[in-house]
Amino acid sequence: MRRKAGIAAIQQKKVEGEKFKEKGAVIQENQLENMTKRLEVFKKNLETFAAKHKEEIKKNPHFRKQFQEMCASIGVDPLASSKGFWSEMLGVGDFYYEIAVQAVEVCIATQQRNGGLVELDELRKRLVGARGRAVHHQEISNDDILRAIKKMNVLRSGFSVIPLDGQRGRYLVRSIPGELSLDHTVVLQQAKNSGFSSVNGLVTELGWNPVRAEKVLNELLRDGVAWIDTQGGDTKFWFPVIFINSKLE
Amino acid sequence: ALNANLRSMEWPWQYNFPPFFTLQPNEDTRNKQLEAWRNLALEYCKANKQFILDINEAYSCPLFNNKSINRKLSEEGIRTVVESLRDRKAANWVDTQKSKFYVFWHTPEEWGNLIYNWANANGMMNSVCTFFELSQGEDTANEEFHNLDEGLLLLALKSLESKRKAEIIQLDEETQGVKFF
Repeated sequence: MRRKAGIAAIQQKKVEGEKFKEKGAVIQENQLENMTKRLEVFKKNLETFAAKHKEEIKKNPHFRKQFQEMCASIGVDPLASSKGFWSEMLGVGDFYYEIAVQAVEVCIATQQRNGGLVELDELRKRLVGARGRAVHHQEISNDDILRAIKKMNVLRSGFSVIPLDGQRGRYLVRSIPGELSLDHTVVLQQAKNSGFSSVNGLVTELGWNPVRAEKVLNELLRDGVAWIDTQGGDTKFWFPVIFINSKLE
Repeated sequence: ALNANLRSMEWPWQYNFPPFFTLQPNEDTRNKQLEAWRNLALEYCKANKQFILDINEAYSCPLFNNKSINRKLSEEGIRTVVESLRDRKAANWVDTQKSKFYVFWHTPEEWGNLIYNWANANGMMNSVCTFFELSQGEDTANEEFHNLDEGLLLLALKSLESKRKAEIIQLDEETQGVKFF
């Protein structure tokens, strides 16, 4: 399958080449042939590389990520391969499909307590815990989970990923359909370290008007994402999804 | 007496979550909150072998008052939890003023069965035992029902009575006893 994709890309270039020709630029026939050969060589090398470093790819999430990026840079996506690249390479059924299914199980199990939200760190810890100690169950990373979710979304699963703190690699995974509004997301990001928000806090820190702050916080309350706390001075809205994750350290 | 488990329980994450001590307005959230409170109350009482909680003393009890986060459940909140337990036959009022309540980490029926099984295993069929002997006697020192609250003991024996497995007898002015069948 990858061969065909390569040839299609080359043919596409050929078409573009025709257009350039029209405008006076010329792509030589032999240059095209060279490019085809080089692409095939790249891919062959990649396959050899993958086979040679199979164990490393299995066990090391950092190495696995680098390998993915290497593939991406030459236009190869092992995840999209219909031959089951990962199942061939790792021999464990479809690696990412497995992660995706297990992620769904964890999300469903935790849906009840936090409005269908779970922090990616917490999700990973639970997945690793649940996967058992079988020899072929290698370490998985947050990156693996994000890729698995992306793969799932191709099937319109209703999972979405919300960045909480891009710099620190913190994300929320939402497993119920519907979208969090941008305002909801902003409030969660604002609360990422303290675990709570308040009307006063949003007015002071984000310059929101109080009516908007109150509306958004009440929506989060209504959706089960926030719990209300009236004993801490001004009324606070706490987020179990963030609080629970902070307790897992 | 064997008192394993005293205070060895682990507090659930909700106990250190400040809004857990505010009655939640959202219905779904409140249901989750009450479920957690029911489980916590039962576990706490079982671990501390406490049969009765007093609303007037609630704030000296770590269950309803978490000093480490400076939060306590209001009286309204406590009464809501009690009603939620009562709905599931897991609690009941001790007094008509509704200031004290039993927490049934074992129901009266379950206590009755524990006592009956002990009586059976110890050759007590058809003989009479005083309430005192049952709850405080040397012979029951290792039993779970040792030191059982007297009111709860009475409820337990009444449940056996209703199944014709025991009969409560007034031995004298002050002493009650029970005969097992």
